[in-house]
Amino acid sequence: MKQFPNTRILMVDDNDIDIAVNRKLLQLADITSDIRSFNQCKKFFEYLDSEDGGAKGFAQIVLMDIMMPVMNGFECLAQFDEYPADFKKNFVIYMLSSSIDRNDIRLAEATPNVRRVLEKPLDIYVLRKLLEQEGLPTE
Amino acid sequence: MNNKPGILYLDDEENNLFSFRALFRRDFDIYTTTSAAEAIQILRENDIQVVLSDQKMAEISGVEFFELLRNEFPDPVRILVTGYADIEAVIDAINKGQVYRYITKPWNEQDLKFCIENAYEKYSRERELRTKNVELEKANAELDKFVYSTSHDLRAPLVSMLGIMEVLRVEEDKTKSREYIDMLDTTLQRLNEAVQNIIYYYQNARNQELLEEIKWEFFLDEVMRQARKSWQGVPPTLNLDISSSKQFVCDRHRLKVIVLNILSNAIRYADSEKSEMWIRIEVIQNAEKAIVRISDNGLGIENARLNKIFDAYDGHSMSGGIGLYIARQAATKIGAELHVHSIFGEGSKFTIDIPNRI
Repeated sequence: MKQFPNTRILMVDDNDIDIAVNRKLLQLADITSDIRSFNQCKKFFEYLDSEDGGAKGFAQIVLMDIMMPVMNGFECLAQFDEYPADFKKNFVIYMLSSSIDRNDIRLAEATPNVRRVLEKPLDIYVLRKLLEQEGLPTE
Repeated sequence: MNNKPGILYLDDEENNLFSFRALFRRDFDIYTTTSAAEAIQILRENDIQVVLSDQKMAEISGVEFFELLRNEFPDPVRILVTGYADIEAVIDAINKGQVYRYITKPWNEQDLKFCIENAYEKYSRERELRTKNVELEKANAELDKFVYSTSHDLRAPLVSMLGIMEVLRVEEDKTKSREYIDMLDTTLQRLNEAVQNIIYYYQNARNQELLEEIKWEFFLDEVMRQARKSWQGVPPTLNLDISSSKQFVCDRHRLKVIVLNILSNAIRYADSEKSEMWIRIEVIQNAEKAIVRISDNGLGIENARLNKIFDAYDGHSMSGGIGLYIARQAATKIGAELHVHSIFGEGSKFTIDIPNRI
């Protein structure tokens, strides 16, 4: 039984290993079975622009890595911010970082649509608590 | 250009200016004026290190004049020229830090000269200190970036490994476990590269040059074996064009650091979307120098980032950690030039231009 059945998790991370591990952790914790991953920001936007990305009726949780080549997490979210408010409100965004840097936290807090920075490796217990706080429908 | 100290003297009595100029024109580069406005103009247009001003003037007092200078010209050292009657004003000005010394009128030539020389010395000391401070701040900022980058380069693979361990612990399927062990291996490799880079950084800063003959094929084979472990694309190709029978000599260790970091970068930022990922190495060598070109069909670098990739990561502009920064440091040490050409989405080409030290 999945804990948050009406929730899709989107992982944006250039490191395929981190994606594989986080996917496994999310599956083990039975958070949701609806998990998508993107190893480039470009692919994340392709998804957002697809019919699937714009679908309503469920919440989309974004786990956005900060350190990525080409376009880093902050730049990616700056582009995300250009989407209409009505579209964005379906998304809950967390940023992931392997080195919790004060400057990064400050930047994340100042970034629109970002809830907070989570430390890698992903702590499923913390994520679950946060999702409960979001008031997402559980089983 | 002369190297005499630039001295400005403001006094509304022309006679004082004349005798001042007559006394010191051989020792200093003298500017004199009776007007405060003109004095400021002189300061704007000339290199002045010491400013003298009479205290009792009709239009403005010396202390007031110095007050005017403080913002625009904080650096020249200020000397007040005054009669005994103004002692209160002088004490006040000294206490407020507006003047360095005061000279009483009528002045004694030796005292005045000594006083100006002291003031000039103070100016020079302070300027040196300012330059040192700027250098120190720069070095400090660079160190900050280095630490930020390095801590990320070290921590990222570590936390990946922690995550892998977590899933490995509960994975019962043997084949799956095997996959996670391979992931551990890849990640460990990255951690090793990061630690290696810190060692390279310090070795580069400290060690003397060690010149050795480079046998290109052997050298590149060794470097590629070290870099290639996590490479998923077609085996890198090597193309040698050696037009000189002379041997090629340079600091082998530093050259290895440069090539290794460029290769690691090509591997890390390969584009897995492309049907065939490739890396090509080309060496052109003549008697004077060697040119090593390393090209790939990876992600490529956006134009806006191209001039920042050799900087240590500063948290805002993305670079590939400290690898290319270390490559640049090593290149500087051996007198090599490092260039990059890249088309975003298509790939990158790094060129190393190395002088032959035979």
